[in-house]
Amino acid sequence: MNKATGLVSLVALALLLASCASTGTGGITRSSQAPSEATNAPVEGGVNVQSGSEEEFIVNVGRRTFFAEGSATLDDTARVTLDKQALWLNDHPQWKVKLQGFADDPGSAAQQTALSQKRADAVRDYLAAKGIPKERMRAKGYGRDRLVGDCADIECKAQNRRVITNPQEVADF
Amino acid sequence: MSITRRDFLAAAAAVAAGSWSDAAHSAVGKMSKAALTYFAGMTEDNGYVYRRTNWKKIDNQWRRQLVEYKSREPQGTVVVDTEHHFLYLIFENQTALRYGVGVGRDGFRWFGRARIDRKALWPRWVPPPEMRQRQPELPEFMDAGPDNPLGPRALYLYRGGQDLGYRLHGTLEPWSIGSNVSSGCIRMFSEDIVDLYQRCPLGTRVLILKHLGAPVINEAAPVDTQ
Repeated sequence: MNKATGLVSLVALALLLASCASTGTGGITRSSQAPSEATNAPVEGGVNVQSGSEEEFIVNVGRRTFFAEGSATLDDTARVTLDKQALWLNDHPQWKVKLQGFADDPGSAAQQTALSQKRADAVRDYLAAKGIPKERMRAKGYGRDRLVGDCADIECKAQNRRVITNPQEVADF
Repeated sequence: MSITRRDFLAAAAAVAAGSWSDAAHSAVGKMSKAALTYFAGMTEDNGYVYRRTNWKKIDNQWRRQLVEYKSREPQGTVVVDTEHHFLYLIFENQTALRYGVGVGRDGFRWFGRARIDRKALWPRWVPPPEMRQRQPELPEFMDAGPDNPLGPRALYLYRGGQDLGYRLHGTLEPWSIGSNVSSGCIRMFSEDIVDLYQRCPLGTRVLILKHLGAPVINEAAPVDTQ
């Protein structure tokens, strides 16, 4: 490896680590925090997913609900995902969920915070209607924060307009 | 009700409706006993049914699983390792959800960036004319349903607003996951394309690589599906 590519790798690595530290939206954390060379190494149980585990929620249910521009309306696809989430949460009552809403939409910062809160609330209300007690959930909007990608294109924005359903056994809310 | 009987009824209904011709080479009525062992019942979905995969017949490596993934691609990107027949959906913390896929056969593989600009539930299949020239037994189109080779979902790949003619879709041939079989499309287990459809909003970035770590090239196969 020459110096230039080495430097590029270091910078990229630093960016990766920085973005990991700032996401704060949960998800499985690998047991080893060191950057791994082991792409394809199984995380947690690999194909042997334990029933009721966070990994099962990630692999078989899905944490993300997506929204159209400027909208906090749940479309058909969002409802399918949330139906699966409700089934899982009803089956595994030990889990609470933090519902983290985000926006990357036209409007002021205040409008985006409000929109992200409406998105999180829409998810909470839908799950509540499917039988999940409201005291197991907390909905919070973060506005245009914790961007997955920052660009003017739909490729970034579609990923950012989301609610993450973050299961917690010991709730931090 | 046994799978065979149910499939037979579905096939008979389709024939009666005139929605397909002798091209239904994949219909269960013509499936070998060996092929039938790859299925385990039916799942209802949006007014149609698809055959459930019999996971006992599938090598673990092709099943959906969470893996480590060292990537500079942003979260939410779909990366396909063509050589190793894996599709990765990039997650946080250097992880990815990995799925087994089938890819283009020799002369039908392609590489580069694309974007999901269209998604369909239970797509109709319209084989391109060039594909029909190669396989004259194919129909002009096939309605959605359990014998449609696209399966229950299709994610349509575009580049610069142009339909590339390639899709991520389901398959009627679960045994083909892990091999080079298609005309350039990326095929997945029915359960997996249903799952991926949920996770990829319109605008999702897709990157088709020769293998992980290979340089990004935009290279179309000499395929005529466009």
